Amino acid sequence: MSAPVATAPSHAPAQESAARTQARARARAERRDRWIWRVAGYVTFLAIWQITSSFLVEDFILPPPADIADEIGAIVSSNQFVTHFSATVKNIAIGFSIAFVLGTVIGIAMGRSRWWEAFLSDWVMLTLTTPGLVFALVCAMVFGLGALGPIAAVVITSVSYVAVNVVEGVKAAPKDLGDMARAFRVPWHRSLRHILLPFLAPFFFTAARYGFSVSWKIATLMEVIVGTKGIGFMMRSEFQEFNMAGFLAWVLLFFAFALFLERGILQRQMRRFYRWRPEVSR
Amino acid sequence: MSVVVAHPRRARRRLEHRLLGVVRSPRFARWSSWVAFLVVWQLSIPLLPTLLLPTPAEVGEFMWDEIRGDTVAPQTVYEAFGVSLVRLSIGLAIAFAIGIPIGLLMGLSKKATWFGHDFVVVGLAMPSLVWALIAAMWFGFGNTAPLVTVVLAAVMFVVINIAEGVRNVPKDLLDMGTAYDVERRDVIRHVVFPSLMPFFFAALRYALANAWKGLVLAELFASTNGAGWMIKFWYDAHRAQGIIGYALFFILFALLIERLVFGRLSARVFRWRPQAGALPRPEPVTAKGGN
Repeated sequence: MSAPVATAPSHAPAQESAARTQARARARAERRDRWIWRVAGYVTFLAIWQITSSFLVEDFILPPPADIADEIGAIVSSNQFVTHFSATVKNIAIGFSIAFVLGTVIGIAMGRSRWWEAFLSDWVMLTLTTPGLVFALVCAMVFGLGALGPIAAVVITSVSYVAVNVVEGVKAAPKDLGDMARAFRVPWHRSLRHILLPFLAPFFFTAARYGFSVSWKIATLMEVIVGTKGIGFMMRSEFQEFNMAGFLAWVLLFFAFALFLERGILQRQMRRFYRWRPEVSR
Repeated sequence: MSVVVAHPRRARRRLEHRLLGVVRSPRFARWSSWVAFLVVWQLSIPLLPTLLLPTPAEVGEFMWDEIRGDTVAPQTVYEAFGVSLVRLSIGLAIAFAIGIPIGLLMGLSKKATWFGHDFVVVGLAMPSLVWALIAAMWFGFGNTAPLVTVVLAAVMFVVINIAEGVRNVPKDLLDMGTAYDVERRDVIRHVVFPSLMPFFFAALRYALANAWKGLVLAELFASTNGAGWMIKFWYDAHRAQGIIGYALFFILFALLIERLVFGRLSARVFRWRPQAGALPRPEPVTAKGGN
């Protein structure tokens, strides 16, 4: 959201303020247009959906939006929502914390030393390109129905995403600041805290976002295959009952929750972390 | 006299030095990581609480049998990947046919962007698992569900990359086109299209990756052939060497596509360009001087 800034050279204050008012008016008009078109998009989408479900196909193929809203209401008001979401979130939280620590260590080792980079890079690449399904099935076979399976799957798939981003960050870290710190004999923990960490922060956040979205996907997939509770488990049971409305309701809830975690928590943390930056407007 | 004594010591030190050099070389690291992995795998199998896991030797044997076409499964590995590849390419072609016009529209018109942006974002974030399950519920077993999954999983990646590419078309060239009354079609053909190519490749790359994951899942839930279904076959048969063997085939397949499609082709097309990625990369912190 960058408002157009009046860059015309100002000769008189009156002229300048006029230009600024004009620019502000234009920005406001644009924002209004944006909202109109966005709302139009949603309305069109819902209308197409409603028309399709009421005239073109049977309800069980595409239930009308109202049915899904009812399902969502039922899920949220009953205890199901809390039970299944907390089960999934717990797996993700444990798995992703382990993956984050492990990935950071791997990433720093790979970024600092050519030897470790050569040692690990094949594995990082392989885990990045292999479909998550493979890991999910192998974990399901090794750990069975227990709680360890989803956690292991989350760790294996998301650790590489963290590592890759940390490597990028470590490699791009400013050499001159590190040299200066060494020249002035700054203790290593302080140079870590004040040079490397602030520099790595954006890479950490990117890593967290990618790793987080990957964790969500693999955790639900794992629950679809071997889960006994959780969002994925509910998706599977709705799938097996051919209950499209229930299935879509769970998908929508899943989305809402993931969006809330990403926007509400991760990005707020991000903004807090970047307080020290002089020109941060986003 | 001392020279005679010092000589073998120096030779030994030189040998040590050279050995250390070998051990420290990245090439040694790469090989040792594979060896270490295999050794750890082979040794840890008896320690794990399950009897289902295969040793590397068993997986190797399985893969060799599969490569020779000697299998107990209803499909050989070639047939399975062939079926999947056909579905993947048809689905991607459809996804591009749908995605490119939408992407062009969204790149050219701000209103179209506002109209559709949120749906594109949701489409990008949607796990391919969801597409696979929806397609499976809609179309049941057969070829349609995997195909639809590929299209759904790929199309938004095409849209967003093409739109981004259109927005990055050099503005001055477009202005010149308008100034000299070049027809819109010619502008698209000669200005928009060439600068779109890197984004086209990025679209292909991400669409392919996501579509492949979706396809495998769709075959697992709603098909009776293809590579994804074969993994399920071995899973149901409780033969982990089948799953891991197929996992390795998947990796080989991905490497093959990567080398052939992207390595060769994009290296030739984009020799002059350092990078063709379109995913948002973290902006490095640049402390700008001045205000």
